[in-house]
Amino acid sequence: MYMLYSLRLAVQSVWREKWINLLSILTIAAGLFMITLTFFSVYNIDLATKKLPEKFSMTLYLNDRVSEQDRGNIIAVLKKNSMVEHVKFISKDRAMEELRGVLKNADYVLEGIDENPLPASIELRLKHESVSISGVKKLAADIGKIKGIDEVEYGEQFLNSMHSIRTGAQTISMLMVVLMSTGIIFVCYSTVKIMFYRRKEEIETFKLLGATKGFIRAPFVIEGGMLGAGGGVVGMFGAIAFYYAFFYKLVLTMPILKVIVFPSEIFIALPFTGLLLGICGAVVALGRIRFS
Amino acid sequence: MIHFENVSKFYDHQTALRNITFSVEKGDMAFITGPSGAGKSTLLKIIYLSEKPDEGSITIADWELGKIKESSIPFLRRNIGVVFQDFRLLDNRNVFDNVAMALRIRGIGEYEVKERVMEILKTVNLRHKTDGFPKTLSGGEQQRVVIARAIVGEPTILLADEPTGNLDSDTAAGITRMFKDINAKGTTVIIATHNRESFRNTGRKVFRLDNGNLVGEEIG
Repeated sequence: MYMLYSLRLAVQSVWREKWINLLSILTIAAGLFMITLTFFSVYNIDLATKKLPEKFSMTLYLNDRVSEQDRGNIIAVLKKNSMVEHVKFISKDRAMEELRGVLKNADYVLEGIDENPLPASIELRLKHESVSISGVKKLAADIGKIKGIDEVEYGEQFLNSMHSIRTGAQTISMLMVVLMSTGIIFVCYSTVKIMFYRRKEEIETFKLLGATKGFIRAPFVIEGGMLGAGGGVVGMFGAIAFYYAFFYKLVLTMPILKVIVFPSEIFIALPFTGLLLGICGAVVALGRIRFS
Repeated sequence: MIHFENVSKFYDHQTALRNITFSVEKGDMAFITGPSGAGKSTLLKIIYLSEKPDEGSITIADWELGKIKESSIPFLRRNIGVVFQDFRLLDNRNVFDNVAMALRIRGIGEYEVKERVMEILKTVNLRHKTDGFPKTLSGGEQQRVVIARAIVGEPTILLADEPTGNLDSDTAAGITRMFKDINAKGTTVIIATHNRESFRNTGRKVFRLDNGNLVGEEIG
């Protein structure tokens, strides 16, 4: 029942100390906007690195002495592997043809070569979900043991760099989010703490009249939530402004930026994130309330 | 109703109360008297749990204060109305809100709050000052607001710390009459005062404190 009254007290307090609260709201908004930008960057890096494995393939070079039957057996074994999506055999002749196609006018370098030096190979396209560093390494090692396969080649370095970029971006973003969230909690903590000390006499009177801890805490928790949510709303308008500036102004002049995606769901998440962080800050600020 | 058994309270190396034993029965009106610094306020603070005794045991109604949980303290305090010596009125709230506070902390709905506060302000003759702020009121009016706040929750015990301390004799007499009326309705009333006129010829119990010791018990 006292929640309505607590809400009234919180609104009165926010209004009474409007300047300090406005400053807190703007600081929170800046923090949340930074979190949005971090999320936006990581989201796009993640999306880009997810798309790359679609083009990922593995090439197995066959021994020249492998018979047609053994080759058939190798292909059958590979097709049965759960990580493999597609198997394509490339004969020695086909390999030479492809090389000539690649060299085009520079195919004179092949003149004088009597015997085709290129080995026959099998190209494997892996299932999208199988393209992980450990998975691909294990598959390459297993395939390398198959009799008749001389060499297994795959973009190990490419996979490692992709993994590093992704992990690096995720770590930096995680650090940024933790840092900014802690900052926002601290802003709410400080503001609520100041309000609490300013109303210390009043709170002492409340306690002596028989107010419970819940009654004393509620207006401050609501106030913290209001500051956080307020910061979230301002941050949301900032993000919307950024969205329109980026996609309707910058993309028009630089069409290459069209590949960048902005998840608009984040707009609605900002006030709620602010609310949650504000409440956290207020709860930490209030600490333990003692009656005697 | 209220029973003190060998209660002592020390502040650093100073004794505020020493081995105090006394009882006040339900529905009684009693006075605690003595010079300044005798321990009157400390005794009242111990009753409403603003201070903890260092020795002895205290029973209030069915509550044994030594064993009371921290979370139960607010509920005990709701049974005790207190007229504080320094009033403890909230200057940024009007008379209505100051009195209503005692009900709002109990989670009572606004409609009932309004009815009960208006009723009690009528009792203390302050209905015309509902929207006034404490600083605009006289000492006697402020005292009546504090009394209204103390009794609006219908407590079983009413404590008053020097309620007539800074008032002229007519206003003091009016306040004392008000306490008698409250007591007549069944509320146990304990008044701490150094003013002998407050309890003279009342026929009520008077406990005399001096330097933290209970030096006498008499009928006023």
